[in-house]
Amino acid sequence: MSEPTQCVLIVPCSGIGKPFGTVSREAAYEVVEDLRPNQTHLVALSRLVMGDVEARTAVATCPAITLDGCKLACATKMVRECGGSVMRGFAVLDVYRRHRDLKPHGIARLNDGGLKLAHALATEVTAVVDSLVAPSCPAEIKGNSHV
Amino acid sequence: MSDLLRRKVGVVACSGEEIAEGSVTRLAALRVLGYLRPDDTVTICLPLFLAGGEGDRQFARVYPTIAVDGCEKRCAARAAERYSGKPAASVVVDEIVAQAGIHGVAGRRQLNAAGQQAVKATAERIALLVDEILGNAGDHHTAALETPAPDEGLQAEGETTCSCGSGIPVQNVLIGGEMVTFIALPLIMQQFRAAAKVPDANTARELLDTARIYTAVPDGADEAYASALLRVYTAFCEGQEATA
Amino acid sequence: MMSIFIETTVDKFTFKVATDRAYTPEGLWVSATGNQVRVGLTDYLQQRSGDVAFVEVKPEGTAVAAGDELATLETIKVNTSLVSPVSGRVAQVNPALEDTPELINSDPYGEGWLAVISVADWAADQARLLTAEQYFKQMKQQAEEDTKKP
Repeated sequence: MSEPTQCVLIVPCSGIGKPFGTVSREAAYEVVEDLRPNQTHLVALSRLVMGDVEARTAVATCPAITLDGCKLACATKMVRECGGSVMRGFAVLDVYRRHRDLKPHGIARLNDGGLKLAHALATEVTAVVDSLVAPSCPAEIKGNSHV
Repeated sequence: MSDLLRRKVGVVACSGEEIAEGSVTRLAALRVLGYLRPDDTVTICLPLFLAGGEGDRQFARVYPTIAVDGCEKRCAARAAERYSGKPAASVVVDEIVAQAGIHGVAGRRQLNAAGQQAVKATAERIALLVDEILGNAGDHHTAALETPAPDEGLQAEGETTCSCGSGIPVQNVLIGGEMVTFIALPLIMQQFRAAAKVPDANTARELLDTARIYTAVPDGADEAYASALLRVYTAFCEGQEATA
Repeated sequence: MMSIFIETTVDKFTFKVATDRAYTPEGLWVSATGNQVRVGLTDYLQQRSGDVAFVEVKPEGTAVAAGDELATLETIKVNTSLVSPVSGRVAQVNPALEDTPELINSDPYGEGWLAVISVADWAADQARLLTAEQYFKQMKQQAEEDTKKP
């Protein structure tokens, strides 16, 4: 079994046009702000697209969990493109298939179903984080938050 | 501008999830696309530039784009330029917020009141830019791009189709000893010809202004580019007259 | 056998129509072999509908008349009722869709087919359907109209 890591990167979808992208971001924020703030770090896809050194370094050194809003799976593809390890790639659609009663609506502001679906996804993500992570995220990674 | 080419503007938002301004770009783009200028705009997904969204890339190569960035990193503008072409316009939320006197934008997960104000201000700026680019304030027509067949009547020398596979005609023009590929130049010339624009200095300037929306013109190269475009357009017109 | 496609690009979307089958105006394709026809969604309909979350096709043995509901589709954007393009009996439901309904998106004219229907009178059904060229023209017009909607 491999050594536990110190920090896990959470990379959500950047999609604009569908509620499933919003669900991916809401779930990501719930994980990094509420559920596992000391073990996880959010990375914006746009920084990876542009080859931002800090973001690429983080992806190269920390395991990532990607949350994709549609079948194009941009988050997963981008992390891999940057040489990162996707420890688990979640598709919101797959989570929805497991929670059919939680139909998301609303792009700018999710409905109750969407928020609950995001929470369900966040819970699944957290379980993966816990299986990967050491007790706290190192300061040098946390310090790499966006400037 | 060519009617064929001015029908839509692509909006590329950085959507940066790490900062509140990134959320502002996303929601402002959504407001433009869904409410302010739904007939005139298409969303271009930034990650798809790299992740295989060929439709997004092709669209951005041919149509003008507006890059909407949350911060000075300007990821959207740089990505658009790298993977398709220089954006016709670029806005940064930081600057718009400062100009509008909005203070305290916060809440990447749920924007605060200042953030909501920033969304409106940014969306309105984008909408104005759309109108400027299309030159059609109050005239929001839409139509589809018909991919021209390779043999559709464009006779100018040096013409081919874009390497992106879209079928969009491009034309190679020799400028200062270097071959420059102009995206959609045959279509632009066809439209100019249809508008009975004679090959003169004014037309050269108009050609340059239209061409630069789709093809980057280096700083300080306007004169050389305009001169070359005039030469090519003159030949195009002569060819049309000869075959008429 | 490989299908030949005609296609059109509207904004950033490219839509393909296979030339070797018939179509309904609503966006289902029909491919006949003897008295059995295979039915599926067109590329345009699947793109317009979005990623498929669930598809439920009437079970094998169900009698359907042209215009009856054949399947329901739930995507990330819409819930849609798909009506049968022909009259007959459902002979086979695509078993692959149970676990991978996304085949409808990834291979609409191939692995993503919905069902095979044993038809009673194919000639009569066929007379109501569109040729590929007719459907292409209608689809292109519809796609262009779509771009004008917010």
